[in-house]
Amino acid sequence: MNHLSPLFALLFQEVSHGRAATALEGVKHPDLSKFLVIAAILFVIGVAGVLTRRNIIVIFMSIELILNAANLNFIAFSRYLQDSGGGNPLAGQVFTVFIIVVAAAEAAIGLGIVIALYRNRETIWIDEIDLMKW
Amino acid sequence: MPKLKDQRPKIMTLSGWESVFFWIFSIAAILAGLLTVMARNAVHSALFLISSLVSVAALFILLGAEFIAGVQILVYVGGVMVLFLFVIMLVNVGAEEEGRSAIFNRPPQVTAAMVFLGLLALVLVLYVIPEGAKTLKNPEKQQQAAIAREAREQNLQTGATGVSRISKETERVGMSLYTYASLPFEIASLLLLVAIIGSVMLARTLKQEIAADDVDPEVTEHDDPKMSVSAPSE
Repeated sequence: MNHLSPLFALLFQEVSHGRAATALEGVKHPDLSKFLVIAAILFVIGVAGVLTRRNIIVIFMSIELILNAANLNFIAFSRYLQDSGGGNPLAGQVFTVFIIVVAAAEAAIGLGIVIALYRNRETIWIDEIDLMKW
Repeated sequence: MPKLKDQRPKIMTLSGWESVFFWIFSIAAILAGLLTVMARNAVHSALFLISSLVSVAALFILLGAEFIAGVQILVYVGGVMVLFLFVIMLVNVGAEEEGRSAIFNRPPQVTAAMVFLGLLALVLVLYVIPEGAKTLKNPEKQQQAAIAREAREQNLQTGATGVSRISKETERVGMSLYTYASLPFEIASLLLLVAIIGSVMLARTLKQEIAADDVDPEVTEHDDPKMSVSAPSE
């Protein structure tokens, strides 16, 4: 326990110097950075889903999660630009509309491919779909 | 100290109930996203993804993008997720995915991944975030924008509840869709057309292709017997 004492000292120093107070302030008044962190976490969850799942439909859903994280970033920066007065604040929202359109088109095509695939190969596990693997 | 705080306008900070709802919905979005990826059953995955998308739509409303939140609910939850559920029902072989413990059982790969993750986090914390914060912080412009925003909101009518003001956000998004982004708008309509035709073409059965005279009947006769059985015998 003794070797941890510098850490504790540092911790209590931080508290006395108001680092904890600023953290509490951040919880009470979330700003742009909190939205970006949430979006990053959603993005990482989506990437993990794409990399680890075998069911091709769940992989598609993970891709939707990734696109949604990007949308959250766009909207957060749109609001930020609106408040800080730089750039075109509505560009983010317009971009988000296009991302949603592209995601819908992608889902339609992708699920069409899944159905055609299932008809021909009778499987939706991606490690069994290896026709194009060299 | 308080004087200094007052001078600097608060940029994009939520407060009061807004921040409470922010934490509720962001934690809900992350939990539902995690469960989407971790659920063994694809239908459960789809339902968790729906709740994640709804939570993110609530975050959009907190950010003042009501139109995008509505589009998100209508298109994603109403359209795309119903499509997903349909395909799961059509395709699901009833098998639940078994866990693959082998993924974390490869020390070299896991070590390499950890090293690169550490490098990424280091660069992000030491360089990218401070630089970004430096370029985004411009107090003069922020002050001007805050004043302009006040002036803009003063001209708006009061909403039906009598508390909030009617937002012109949707109107402005619509205007910029038709002016600032009119060319991408048209391209998006073309993309949707291609997607409709493409998905119809992809999902057709061989029977339907033969009925539409897209496939030479001789091809199917010379192929394997399973296909020629499904061909109409005229």
